[in-house]
Amino acid sequence: MLEPGGEAELAAMIADARAPLAICGGGTRGALARGEVLSTARLRGVVLHEPGALTLVVRAGTPLSEVEAVLARAGQRLGFEPWDARAVLGTRGEPTIGGVAAANVAGPRRVQAGAARDAMIGLRFVDGTGMVVANGGRVMKNVTGYDLVRLMAGSRGALGVITEIAFRLQAVPETEATLVLAGLSDREAVARMARALGSPHDVSGAAHAGGETLLRIEGMEASVAYRAEALRKLLGGGEMLGPSESAARWRELRDGAEFAGAEGEVWRVSVRPSAGPEVAAAWPGARVAYDWGGGLVWLNVPAGADVGAVVMRLGGHATRLGDGRVLRSGGEGVAALVRGLKAAFDPRGILNPLAEG
Amino acid sequence: MQTNFTPAQLADPATARANAILRSCVHCGFCTATCPTYQLLQDERDGPRGRIYLIKDMLEHERVPDAETVTHVDRCLSCLACMTTCPSGVHYMHLVDHARAYIEARYRRPWRDRMLRGLLARVLPYPTRFRLALLAAKVARPFARLVPDARLRAMIAMAPRAIPPVSRNDDPQVFAAAGARRMRVALMTGCAQRAIDTGINDAAIRLLTRLGAEVVVVDQGCCGALSHHMGRAEEARRLAARNILAFAAEAEGRGLDAVVITTSGCGTAVKDYGHIFAGTPLADRAARVAGLARDVTEVIEALGLPEGAGGLCVAYHAACSLQHGQGIRTLPKDLLHRAGYRVSEPADAHLCCGSAGTYNLLQPEISGQLRARKVATLAATEAEVIAAGNLGCMMQIAQGANVPVVHTVELLDWATGGPRPARLGPG
Amino acid sequence: MQMPEPRARVIARKAAIVAALRDILGAEAVIDDPAGTRADECDALTAYRCPPLCVVLPATTEEVAAVMRLCRAEGVPVVPRGAGTSLAGGALPTADGVILSVARMTRIMGVDTADRVIHLETGRTNLSVSAAVEGEGFFYAPDPSSQLACAIAGNIAMNSGGAHCLKYGVTTNNLLGVRMVTMAGEIVTIGGPWLDAGGIDLLGVICGSEGQLGVVTEAWLRILPRPEGARPILLGFGSNAVAGACVADIIEAGLVPVAIEFMDRPCIRACEAFAGAGYPDCEALLIVEVEGSPAEIEAQMARITAIAARHDPVAVRQARDAAEAGRIWLGRKSAFGAMGQINDYLCLDGTIPVSALPEVLARIAEMTAAAGLAVANVFHAGDGNLHPLILYDANAPGELEKAERLGADILRLCVAAGGCLTGEHGVGVEKRDLMGVQFSAADLEAQMRVKDVFDPDWLLNPAKVFPLAASAARRAA
Repeated sequence: MLEPGGEAELAAMIADARAPLAICGGGTRGALARGEVLSTARLRGVVLHEPGALTLVVRAGTPLSEVEAVLARAGQRLGFEPWDARAVLGTRGEPTIGGVAAANVAGPRRVQAGAARDAMIGLRFVDGTGMVVANGGRVMKNVTGYDLVRLMAGSRGALGVITEIAFRLQAVPETEATLVLAGLSDREAVARMARALGSPHDVSGAAHAGGETLLRIEGMEASVAYRAEALRKLLGGGEMLGPSESAARWRELRDGAEFAGAEGEVWRVSVRPSAGPEVAAAWPGARVAYDWGGGLVWLNVPAGADVGAVVMRLGGHATRLGDGRVLRSGGEGVAALVRGLKAAFDPRGILNPLAEG
Repeated sequence: MQTNFTPAQLADPATARANAILRSCVHCGFCTATCPTYQLLQDERDGPRGRIYLIKDMLEHERVPDAETVTHVDRCLSCLACMTTCPSGVHYMHLVDHARAYIEARYRRPWRDRMLRGLLARVLPYPTRFRLALLAAKVARPFARLVPDARLRAMIAMAPRAIPPVSRNDDPQVFAAAGARRMRVALMTGCAQRAIDTGINDAAIRLLTRLGAEVVVVDQGCCGALSHHMGRAEEARRLAARNILAFAAEAEGRGLDAVVITTSGCGTAVKDYGHIFAGTPLADRAARVAGLARDVTEVIEALGLPEGAGGLCVAYHAACSLQHGQGIRTLPKDLLHRAGYRVSEPADAHLCCGSAGTYNLLQPEISGQLRARKVATLAATEAEVIAAGNLGCMMQIAQGANVPVVHTVELLDWATGGPRPARLGPG
Repeated sequence: MQMPEPRARVIARKAAIVAALRDILGAEAVIDDPAGTRADECDALTAYRCPPLCVVLPATTEEVAAVMRLCRAEGVPVVPRGAGTSLAGGALPTADGVILSVARMTRIMGVDTADRVIHLETGRTNLSVSAAVEGEGFFYAPDPSSQLACAIAGNIAMNSGGAHCLKYGVTTNNLLGVRMVTMAGEIVTIGGPWLDAGGIDLLGVICGSEGQLGVVTEAWLRILPRPEGARPILLGFGSNAVAGACVADIIEAGLVPVAIEFMDRPCIRACEAFAGAGYPDCEALLIVEVEGSPAEIEAQMARITAIAARHDPVAVRQARDAAEAGRIWLGRKSAFGAMGQINDYLCLDGTIPVSALPEVLARIAEMTAAAGLAVANVFHAGDGNLHPLILYDANAPGELEKAERLGADILRLCVAAGGCLTGEHGVGVEKRDLMGVQFSAADLEAQMRVKDVFDPDWLLNPAKVFPLAASAARRAA
């Protein structure tokens, strides 16, 4: 296993590599890796945390838990609510912030606060030729040159090894509450969630799982109370969860806890929210959970199920948990551009293979 | 933005004025967004920013205008929506007026254009000739589809089916105020208006006198706006001069508090007399008349309109000359509201209806598209009647609308004691 | 402004190229006469100008594809143009290049409020997108000040921001998918009415690529429900630095107003003259807008007012009604244009960490005085996105160069303070030659490799973004 202690050392290792490497953060999400493991574990530590500017610059191998602890002390957090794959995959180890970035992780708050890609404002990486590249910076708005930050977010080590990332942070709100509706069919639930997300009440989570439909509100005390009540009126009733119950419930939803130990394959499928139930309808009886108002479907299907056919029919994309394999609509035009980028950034095929195609 | 005029060029006051206007433009492009012709054609040259650029190039190089430049300047409606939008205060009106005069003086139009423009300039400003032309159009209507020129066909189509008798109200005279006189105003009777719709001035006289104004009608002619917008600067000045002398004499004689104008297209031109006559012997008197010029709604507001019993749903069409040219945007709506009407405005109220003086006659295709848009947005308000403060707009919209189109002042008059406007039919 | 030598072969074949374009688009959609091409010789950055070979106005994606195939075959550079409102010269033509305008592509293909997405052609103006969904209670969040006129195509090319991005993010955070024509004339669809990419995020790198990777003709944009209410408050201060300190305190307190905007005295006066918003006449003014339920607005207003009080404000005033709020924003959004009442200007766009605001503003004032020029400041303070407007007289020889030198120095200062050259306007030609201040050769190489993949011949908007020396070998190949 290669464990560089710094960016220059990492660059040299990649430049000198003669065979494919398996780029790896905490190893909790799995990857389509082959070859010798290259771990970012020693590229560790917070470089800069400026609470007054809502920014954090951190090295890629820093454990997510450490990042969250640092932020919590300042009353801040990563707005995109990174989910933890250990429960559903049964993996061990510590998720790293670099892994979160490389997989473009996003939890339930995706609908309101965006994904990792939206919070990432700068990064450094080493490409497949060993070239060290910086892009973006540590300011909120930056359109100087091409946006390689977003290109790297979700590239899963196929275009480069991320060594350092700058994030835009969020202040932790005063409180939260969750409205729970029971007994809705999938279609009814998605329709209610659409109404909630289309309302002015700033819903920060909209999920339907285990027979319950959950809608989360966060913010100042008075405002949460007002909006939660308004939402209840809008949707015609429901039970309210207070802050701690709400937080616990959303943590389970975030991590797909109900899929722990599932037989077969678990996929996360992203489609138009209103098409969510159609994904599930392709496998009657399969275990499903909806997040993002229906736009994200957690799907447990038998091994070998043709998830791709559904994604192509509805439009969207799907990621298989475990090896991170990706299927997406868009056709050969998109695939050719992706292959072109892979060849441009990793001409020798040293880094992780593409997760798609 | 940067300009390239020589000191010799800048010695000419008109060029110096154009330079000052061009210098204030920062080319931000906001104006394109509210320009009706840009909305239709999406060609940079058919928006104010592009036209300003074409004009700049033509003036800087003292070029003989080329056909392309003329085409795009001709397509400008002079609706002045761009001036409302422009944050830099670019005086587009003076620039395009100057360009039109420049083109008229240096560009030889095809013979058919010359003939048409000459015809319009010799007919429209003169009520008697205009009445004769309307009769001719009536006769020609059955044969209209045989006419080879779309513009001539547009003129024939535009002529109203009924031509009202001459109104004796438009003759020189004085109408006494009802009750105590609170104001003394001169009424501009207009030219086309005297031939096509005499009801407007009648209503204005009734309402103004009822509100306490003494209304004077002096011997007058066309304000010059129609010629002015065709670039016929000399002719425009000659026509305007007659009115300036007449109104200035009245103001200096028995005194005037205002010159009241019921056609906002004329109003915009009269309010600009000071600029048009700057540096001429008439400068002072022109500025005085310009300073007295008021849209009829402004005078009604000054006199104080009582609450009325209007009742109808009215869609208010904002004439460009009123909303953009004179910056009168909410007043007519407020007055209609006070008179008891339920007032709505169509979507995209800032867009021109395509009338624009002689534009509907010279550019029938673009004008027709703008009319269709305007009529559709007005229809969407589901109003029972459409009100506007400019005769040109009224005629243009009436060609497509399926509810009556009347002048704002007719509705105000009716709601506060006057007769029901004839166009509304028997009640 | 140095631009590459026009390709002699292209100039020589102009007549044939124009004829072929007319075969594709019809005569009227190709403009090649000298007066006509001059109208497109610049965008909203008028300091640099060059009439193009010709201008084309395609009406469909398929027409765009046909134009691109022809231009690639003929080796003709293509400069895409939205509404021509770029402040960075993003649509500056070259003499051998075709200006490809998407102005005629303005259809809306679909609005879906259940999925919170609008699908449209990119020639539409930014504001008209919000107008199209306003009736259902939605809006499109990115709101560049030019939103009345600027096209979505340009917004995507420049990853445009705006005043309200503090809360809602910039274009890239609100863009779900595009239909795009590559220089090879291939039509590709990337993303769609769903979230994120799954694999490699092509959309992320296309947004903000300044029209160098493809011509985006259609887009799926995220629309958001309109908040219950919004209210701006005006906070006037005795100096720029104090106002800057107040901004840093608001952000640090964890408040997230939707916008924190800053104007200094010259800007306040120009904007007041246009909009009649009732801005207090003070050295520095903050417009802070909060939104949400009435309770939320009151609570946030109370906390913001308390923070402002610590900085000895000379004026504190909340908008009383929607009309007043409208005038406050009209004035702010017209600031650049309104400065035209005063002088010619160069508009900068550097961004700095919010915490550095007081220090950087003070330094800009010193540098400006030393250069013998005047600067007016108006910017998005909440995210540190500065817009110093360097005032100069375009008709006076040497003044532009003087202003450019000061501009470059100010941008170097922004980078040194931990910021960047451009926060939302893009690099264009304006900041092209300063890219080396922010990026190493390797940083630029990595970006140029992306262009190699999308446009191997470097025909799309080739003289922008990258310093000419850095891209020379690629453009020559």
